[in-house]
Amino acid sequence: MQIYLPIAEISVNIVTLIGMGGLVGFMSGMFGVGGGFLMTPLLIFIGIPPAVAVATEANQIVASSVSGGLAYWRRRAVDVPMGLILMAGGIAGSYAGVQLFKLLRQIGQVDLLISMSYVVFLTIIGGLMLRESLQAISASRRGQPIRARRPGQHSWILGLPLRMRFRQSKLYISVIPPILIGFFVGMMSAIMGVGGGFIMVPAMIYLLRMPTNVVIGTSLFQIIFVTASVTILHAVENQTVDILLALLLMIGGVIGAQFGAIAGQRLRGEQLRALLAIIVLGVGIKLLVDLLTQPEELYSVTRMGFGG
Amino acid sequence: MIGHLTRGGLVLAMLGLFMVLPTAMPTARANPIVADLSKDHISIRSNFVGEQLLLFGALAETPDGPIDDIIVVMRGPDETFTVRKKSKKAGIWVNDAAYAIGPVPGFYALASTGPLADIAPDRALRENGIGEQSLAMEFGRADIPAAERQQAIEGFIRLKQNSALYREQVGAVKIIGERLFRVEINLPSGMPVGDYITEFFAFQKGRLVGYQTGLLPVDIVGTGHVLHKAAYEMPLVYGTSGVIMAVIMGWGVAVLFRRR
Repeated sequence: MQIYLPIAEISVNIVTLIGMGGLVGFMSGMFGVGGGFLMTPLLIFIGIPPAVAVATEANQIVASSVSGGLAYWRRRAVDVPMGLILMAGGIAGSYAGVQLFKLLRQIGQVDLLISMSYVVFLTIIGGLMLRESLQAISASRRGQPIRARRPGQHSWILGLPLRMRFRQSKLYISVIPPILIGFFVGMMSAIMGVGGGFIMVPAMIYLLRMPTNVVIGTSLFQIIFVTASVTILHAVENQTVDILLALLLMIGGVIGAQFGAIAGQRLRGEQLRALLAIIVLGVGIKLLVDLLTQPEELYSVTRMGFGG
Repeated sequence: MIGHLTRGGLVLAMLGLFMVLPTAMPTARANPIVADLSKDHISIRSNFVGEQLLLFGALAETPDGPIDDIIVVMRGPDETFTVRKKSKKAGIWVNDAAYAIGPVPGFYALASTGPLADIAPDRALRENGIGEQSLAMEFGRADIPAAERQQAIEGFIRLKQNSALYREQVGAVKIIGERLFRVEINLPSGMPVGDYITEFFAFQKGRLVGYQTGLLPVDIVGTGHVLHKAAYEMPLVYGTSGVIMAVIMGWGVAVLFRRR
């Protein structure tokens, strides 16, 4: 069954879309990640214009982060002041990201920006994850306890002016680093159509030294607002949010996430992470290969004033 | 000049009148072609997967004998397109040269009773805007070398053909008993919206002896129409609605699965 997407302006198979939403939802439920960094490239692979894929995926992430975030909210595992500081930086970053996106769209380079951002982040993160999980697997085979990585010393950053007390995180640190981290992740969110949890969570643990029990909840809390901001800004500046597409992806996503969470409980942590790392690395390499090989068709056409 | 006449014909066609090309026809003679479409408008709904449009009509015999050939042209609204060519920069294939081409139709379908070269001389075809080659590919800039221009035009036509927006169906028009003709034109799902022009050309021994034109409005309707309109006319409301929908959906799912 085909459905015509009014903003992407193409017909796609409704089963394919819900299936993709389900598959990515399954993986995000299994691995506990947002899934935007897998969904956006998948949408591009099936022929959705990259600019529409990014903006629409941000809309979908609003839904998945609300449903994920609520569980942490009930357990009071959200550091609200920290979330708000990150959010302030994130909303500013999303504004900057959407403006950059718009500018590059006008000169026909936005697809390149999206691909390059994905190649850089997916290969670095996939590579690091794979290395870490392989080390963990071999360590557990040898029966050694897994050593927790000692975070580096960054205390001078945290000691910058404008210090604030974050009771739940038991921190008294400058608000400058969280604002900068929020800004960076917000910009990524606008450019890549991701929540950015995979950058935000390690940054919170290793840079801000937040306790792990509040990290995911706080990350999801600010992702809700930042992706909402990205969605509205893209809708206003670029008219690239396809609500119908977002709705179909949400339906598949929420169902998949429930099954994924069940499957995730049955598999071992290190193996799961190795599997996720391979998927992330695979998508990154595919995008890199696409950039490096000569395309069959050198020409592309867009309507005047549209870049996507 | 002929271009002007066809445009004038459009205005008449809007009034529901038929128009005869005076340059091509002796003035006193009746138009030997009457044509119609199976639909008077195309509605793109959410389940739109493209459509087959039947174009048909009747032919009258002229003093010189029956009509030999029919060419049917259907064109979408004119738009200006940006064509970009990728080239290798620092090992990466990136969009490099950009050309503004247009205004040209966003959709162009041609169907004929046989190969165009057998129907009429090249000049007659070109004057009447028949065939992709006759489309005026105007570039925004004048300083582009001829070879580069030609490549860009070929690239543009190839891309349009690949998405089924430009197509020539040679031999698809069937004349039945010298009196009737019919042809089916495929409208792809990605067709642009706007007013389409249909043109029917009747040829006899390489001469244009009959002509008729009409309009076919193509619109997005239903939910898709509302969404499309809102996205472009009320983007703030549209974007905010998207967010509200997502929050309700996410919240609903969380509540639903908690109760289990």
